[in-house]
Amino acid sequence: MGVVLAADSLTKTFGDLKAVDDVSVVIEEGETFGLLGPNGAGKTTTISMIAGLLAPDSGTVSVAGEMVTTGSTRGRAAIGLVPQELAIYPDLTGAENLMFFGRLQGMTGTRLEEAVAEVLSVIGLADRKDDRTSEYSGGMKRRLNIGIGLLHRPRLLILDEPTVGVDPQSRNAILESVESLSREGIAVLYTTHYMEEAERLCDRVAIIDEGKVQAEGTRRELVSLVGEKDRVAISGSGDLSAAAEAVRSVPGVSGASASDHRIEILADDASTILPDLLARVASAGGTITSVEMVEPNLEAVFLHLTGKALRD
Amino acid sequence: MGAAARIAIKDLRLRVRDRSAFILGLIAPLMLAFIFNTVLGGAVDGGGLSLEYGIVDLDRSEISAAFTSVLTAAESEEILTVETFPDRVSATEAVEEGDIDAFIVVPEGFSQAVFANRSSTVEVVGDIDSPTSTQIAAAIAEQFSSGLAASQAAVGATAALVGEEVTDEFVASLSQDPATAGNTFAFTDRSARARQLDESTFFAAGMAVFFLFFTVQFGVVGILEEEREGTLPRLMAAPIPRVAVVAGKAILAFLLGVISMAVLVISTSLLMGADWGAPLGVTLLVVAGVLSAVGIMGLIAAFAQTPEGAGNLGAIIAVILGMLGGTFFPVGSTGGVLSALTYLTPHAWFLRGLADLSGGEASWTAALPSVGAILGFAVIASSVAWMQMRRRWVR
Repeated sequence: MGVVLAADSLTKTFGDLKAVDDVSVVIEEGETFGLLGPNGAGKTTTISMIAGLLAPDSGTVSVAGEMVTTGSTRGRAAIGLVPQELAIYPDLTGAENLMFFGRLQGMTGTRLEEAVAEVLSVIGLADRKDDRTSEYSGGMKRRLNIGIGLLHRPRLLILDEPTVGVDPQSRNAILESVESLSREGIAVLYTTHYMEEAERLCDRVAIIDEGKVQAEGTRRELVSLVGEKDRVAISGSGDLSAAAEAVRSVPGVSGASASDHRIEILADDASTILPDLLARVASAGGTITSVEMVEPNLEAVFLHLTGKALRD
Repeated sequence: MGAAARIAIKDLRLRVRDRSAFILGLIAPLMLAFIFNTVLGGAVDGGGLSLEYGIVDLDRSEISAAFTSVLTAAESEEILTVETFPDRVSATEAVEEGDIDAFIVVPEGFSQAVFANRSSTVEVVGDIDSPTSTQIAAAIAEQFSSGLAASQAAVGATAALVGEEVTDEFVASLSQDPATAGNTFAFTDRSARARQLDESTFFAAGMAVFFLFFTVQFGVVGILEEEREGTLPRLMAAPIPRVAVVAGKAILAFLLGVISMAVLVISTSLLMGADWGAPLGVTLLVVAGVLSAVGIMGLIAAFAQTPEGAGNLGAIIAVILGMLGGTFFPVGSTGGVLSALTYLTPHAWFLRGLADLSGGEASWTAALPSVGAILGFAVIASSVAWMQMRRRWVR
């Protein structure tokens, strides 16, 4: 398999903020690569540079052997971009949106018409192709948003948080589409802050935080970074943020984060310190409903590397 | 077809669907031009000069006859009509019935008073609804009287020099009749000299160029809408030159402007009788006017942060330029600072260019000075707009 994307040492600074710091990404044909990180980690800035939307302060990008810059057009022809925000025209129909963006990709005539028909079928909008997209549901708009990125059969498909704000049914359809594209040989760069999506879709994942890649590898490789640490999940109610803060000071705890009704703790020899953990949670105002020892996942890796949760 | 053209066509389709450009670019200016022409027609100076005067010659002297003949001579220049009335009563009735705008009474004994170096008054009676015409009549009478006074003084001085009394015989012995010697006034069409448009054309052109700036805004603001709607990154990521996105918006703005102006020129010619002048000259003015509007509105869009901000600021600028440029009333004819400032707007040059073309005899080349001035606005505004757009969207 050949290399489709080679982004080398990308750096971007906005004023005093170093949004992206020496990030490198290589993706091969048929590979799905995940950029996993919380909001503001630098994922969108990174893909903006890869897509040629933003000029890096330093570093280079090549896609399918062509250098990508803000001034070049050849490299961009191999890229399909699906922005995080919906990028469709509400007063055009679904088919008109596809036709317009297809023409910008240099497609014309029968080739364009066939590609539009095929994409409409893939995204399940063939029956609604002549309706203005302002009449579409949120999920339908998301599917069209992705379809536009696929229209010209790009070598590299960049999906920037494509499931944000999507209902579970549409979300599943999107994930299935990405899996299907990967099987067809398209290289996919997928940014998300949902650990489950990264674990399901991505062959390799780069964990990014504060503009830097903290770790990169397959899921197994990343999880191994956690080592022999145990992961404890405490479900409950009350002030769980305060409870997570309280357990961080327990000896042996390397990280703790609170999300909805749940505290994730990474610790050495958790069974020994478990009573202390529970006592700290209770004294901090948390009401415990269940406790489980679970296998480390990417969430635990992120917690281990950064000391905070993906959703923080 | 180029990417810029594809983007322009897509935007044109969107504009046709939302109809706002159609309303602002065609319906509004046409309606307002029609309303202004109907309601304000005649209130604006610059319509072709048309005066209807009466004269009541109660003196029946050579002097009064000369005055009447001068006025009558002007009739041949199609500037005014002069009707002779036997007495003040019949002339007054004519004024009240609107048959004439004003009448001038040369009182009985006027010539005798002149020769006797006594004061006498030429009376002007005018229609209260025609103040301008009445003032012109008064000015004519005053100039006639002034001329007579000068002649009177000259004859007196001559008589004193030669030691003669001023008698009819003495006056006759002079080579020039005092009655006509002072008649320095002449009737010419001041509207043509001042390059004024007739009312229908003035309101049609004024509203057309005023709303032109709103119309082209639909095109140039499009790039801010793309930015807000999130479609700009997708356009920028496409394998097209980035300048094509900006060019597409400019093309649409130009198209909307030209379509709007073309429809208004044709429709106001047919519906309101507007006389726009030589087609080639009008075409040049329209193209230059549209380019200047695209440049100025593009400049605003280049610096605005949101479509709404650009729309609001654009509307303010368009109204200020339109008012100052004399699209609602001829600011240039007021004189003074305003008259000079008006030429800081492309609107004023546009109207002046049309006025230069008016009259049916002017060649298209008469519009070239105005076309040049308008293109100057276009070049300056577009250059600054381009520098900002390049920094913001093209690099």
